[in-house]
Amino acid sequence: MSNPILQLKDASIFQGDSLVLSNINVEINKGDFVYLIGKTGTGKSSFMKTLYGDLPLTKGEGYIVDFNLNGLKEKDIPFLRRKLGVVFQDFKLLTDRTINENLLFVLKATGWKDKEAMTTRIEEVLTKVGMSTKGFKFPHELSGGEQQRIAIARALLNNPELILADEPTGNLDPQTSIEVMEVLQDINKNGNTILMATHDYALLLKYPSKTLKCDENQVYEVVQRKG
Amino acid sequence: MSSSFEKHQKRRLISSYFSVVLSIALVLFLLGLLGLLVLNAKKVSDHFKEQVVVTIYLKDSAKDVETKQLEKGLAMADYVKSTEYVSKEQAAEFMKAENGEDFMDFVGYNPLQNSIDVHLKADYVTSEHLEKISEEALSKNFVDEVTYDNDLVNLMNENVKKISFWVLVLSSIFTLIAVLLINSSIRLSVYSKRFTIKTMQMVGATKQFIRRPFVWKSVRLGVIGAVLALIGMGIVLYYVNKTFPELGLLNPPILVVLLFAFVFGLGIMITWISTHFATQRFLNLKTDELYY
Repeated sequence: MSNPILQLKDASIFQGDSLVLSNINVEINKGDFVYLIGKTGTGKSSFMKTLYGDLPLTKGEGYIVDFNLNGLKEKDIPFLRRKLGVVFQDFKLLTDRTINENLLFVLKATGWKDKEAMTTRIEEVLTKVGMSTKGFKFPHELSGGEQQRIAIARALLNNPELILADEPTGNLDPQTSIEVMEVLQDINKNGNTILMATHDYALLLKYPSKTLKCDENQVYEVVQRKG
Repeated sequence: MSSSFEKHQKRRLISSYFSVVLSIALVLFLLGLLGLLVLNAKKVSDHFKEQVVVTIYLKDSAKDVETKQLEKGLAMADYVKSTEYVSKEQAAEFMKAENGEDFMDFVGYNPLQNSIDVHLKADYVTSEHLEKISEEALSKNFVDEVTYDNDLVNLMNENVKKISFWVLVLSSIFTLIAVLLINSSIRLSVYSKRFTIKTMQMVGATKQFIRRPFVWKSVRLGVIGAVLALIGMGIVLYYVNKTFPELGLLNPPILVVLLFAFVFGLGIMITWISTHFATQRFLNLKTDELYY
């Protein structure tokens, strides 16, 4: 029997008072790589925000990495996010500190104490995304692709059960998008579950996988035609 | 090697901290000065009240023993701060020095009277007390006249009341302004970091963990601002005390120490509370609300 990491039943997603998506029924299992596609404004980001607790789930049922999204308490949100890895389109690195300090902040914030263990973990994740030599740099000293790799490394720090990537290639050129996508694919092959929102259909064709589509307030699975 | 960006960032940080520290220091300094004024308002008003002189003019027939007895009796009274016997010769000397000419040259004799100048303790410088003292002195048959400036006394008491009231009102307004100004400086500095705060939340940091360094940094700025304010207050206190030693601004020292401690504590408390609430505000906002 499959053990879903993410499960939404008849869920509706609201942005303020306006309904963005309704009757969502979605299940994502461990090890899946799932795309969430849809035009701009169809609710992909609101969907993602609901999953990481930035928007409340007020209608329907939702379970993610053992957290119940219904009535999720404010104090539980940080602990939910520690079990998730979130990657944003605009990277959201802390611009006032170096890459190493960015990663160190996350480790300290999530309860790591042992300095040596933290240094080792930072080296591990930077190596995973091919950025082991850039730890001393500031975010602005890196290219967009490199910053996104760092953001992915940051998401990996606490071995998340699910990585939510909200248009991670949205700000990148096609070549860099593929490089970042390769990183995500490698991570997925190592057993990490990934839900990636995108409107870059070229990536879907190059790396086909289960795909959910947001359209007309609905989320449904689409089947890719084999080229 | 630190890059030019780092240097630029550091300069920007220092200049933004500088304005926060300066606003904290200035506001606390003004508040401290007002505190000094409040603490010393009574001393200052007492100082002026005790300048009021009640002059008891003695008849020429007054015997030396009677005069001495009266002076001694007055000196021992609760309401008297000091007494001074002024003989008619001394009075003539004073007048001569004041007017620059000897009036006795054209009057031919000394028309002045022997007198006792009485300085009262500040609490007794009221019309009622002065009248009572005057009546008591006049009851003695060797006292010719008692004079004092009743209008001045009334005016002084009236003004002291008014000034004390306005100093209190001003202190309250200043305290409010101090809190609001420091609060707004800190809120601005936290506001500039609102997206950083949100990012920190996104990676799983708790509100308390995010708030702590912000509060700590602000408290440090508050401490620096308060120390600068205290140095300023110290300098002002030193020079005012040097210029008007009779006011005894440093007495009792415990009050001055308490005032300094209050200003220091206020610097820490305002920065602490302001940062706590400013950070909390952005911690409680959803990402989309940060753009409004």
